[in-house]
Amino acid sequence: MKGMKKELITLRVNNEDYEIFTYPNKTLLEVLREDLMLTGTKEGCSEGACGTCTVLMDGKPIRSCLMLAVEAQGKDITTIEGLSEDDELHPIQKNFIEQGAIQCGFCTPGMILTAKALLDENPRPTEDDIKVAISGNVCRCTGYAKIVKAIKESSK
Amino acid sequence: MRLPSFNYLEPITLTDALNLMEEYHGRAQPLAGGTELLPRMKLGLTHPTYLMSLKEIHELKGIKSNKNELYIGGMTSLREIFLSTLLQQKFLAISEAAGSVAAPPLRNMGTIAGNLCQDTRCFFYNQSYFWRRGLKPCFKAGGNVCYAVPGSKKCFSVYQGDLAPALIAFNAKVRIEKKGSSRIIPIEELFSGKGEKPIVIADDELLTQVIVPIPEGIYGSSYRKFRLRNALDYPLVSAAAFLAIDSEKKVKSVKVVLGAAGPAPVIVKEAEDILKGKKVEESAINEIAEAAYKRAQMVDNLGLPASYRKKMVRVFTKRAIENAFNSIK
Repeated sequence: MKGMKKELITLRVNNEDYEIFTYPNKTLLEVLREDLMLTGTKEGCSEGACGTCTVLMDGKPIRSCLMLAVEAQGKDITTIEGLSEDDELHPIQKNFIEQGAIQCGFCTPGMILTAKALLDENPRPTEDDIKVAISGNVCRCTGYAKIVKAIKESSK
Repeated sequence: MRLPSFNYLEPITLTDALNLMEEYHGRAQPLAGGTELLPRMKLGLTHPTYLMSLKEIHELKGIKSNKNELYIGGMTSLREIFLSTLLQQKFLAISEAAGSVAAPPLRNMGTIAGNLCQDTRCFFYNQSYFWRRGLKPCFKAGGNVCYAVPGSKKCFSVYQGDLAPALIAFNAKVRIEKKGSSRIIPIEELFSGKGEKPIVIADDELLTQVIVPIPEGIYGSSYRKFRLRNALDYPLVSAAAFLAIDSEKKVKSVKVVLGAAGPAPVIVKEAEDILKGKKVEESAINEIAEAAYKRAQMVDNLGLPASYRKKMVRVFTKRAIENAFNSIK
């Protein structure tokens, strides 16, 4: 468009501040993947239905494909890359591996972040709580049973 | 999918927002949660020149109440409405409706004003540019054909908002503001009943608040939603019911509202005549369900055949009334 100007925006991602010069029509997902090279966050349907682009904003899961990057300024964003500490995986990540809750892996970042938000809010969720929490995340390998089990294990 | 180009505006007070709307002569499209508008922009269904995010306007967020009324700011998230104990205790149908929208991450983003003002939908319209470009534009896209009902003279797109039926059941109102003026209208007047342009709100106006009168006496309410998956899907049929009774368990007032049954929420006006002054019995509920069935306008333009969705109107109307009655404590 005529007149659309790049803007300097500041994002706080995984406890680090980044300054990015970008267009206002870039979604948070695009900036994470293309400018910050944080490609753990995936693009699936791009219209909010599938859940692969889920990131945490101030601790709550949101769809990064439906959030403008400019709107995410001043918020604390956590992507899947921000969960492990040094080379140590987060307990939820370990449980996903141990329980075989990963098949193709495309839904996994969204599933794990949604699970983290659930467990931070409710450390002892029931199986139904888990199912409701991940109801917006689609796994086309349909490994739901093991995903639920991995989240359940992480709550112990 | 990429977003089309636009200029971005970010007011931090309501006054700023209303000034911008006037300054840009209605070309500043308000952006609330984005869960409805951004997919529409990605599909090329709408091309705002200016996009005005309302996320930083904190005065538009939050739930307040006094003795007579409940006030929900337009930018209050559906999550907050779903989890509010006040709403769960006194306005169950509204909480249930908010909790039935999409899935938790989308409820963190979606707002009550955005949910109310969402556009109508149709299988032949909510498609990609690639899909649509092979066909002449339909009524909804500014053309003069309808692919859902060939030969028809109007648009049959469906209003699938969840909050509106529940709010109408509680006789809620909305505050609509523009620079220098403010008006309050019943929510049912927000809808034109026309699929082409379903929401009656001017380009320089903003829906800023929802006002719900607090009912007196003994009452219950419920929202029931029919969809293929229990998450993410828009309603294929929904029904909200409000029921107030006296100490002898006779009905003092009743309101039944259908969602996804036409281009606007449908009030089943017969309900009051059928139930008022009587006890809640199965025969009366069946009679209301039949009236609801007759009022629903459905064509083959959503996830299931119209004939099946229409039959489900009876089922979900009954469930809503029964659940509203059972929720009375």
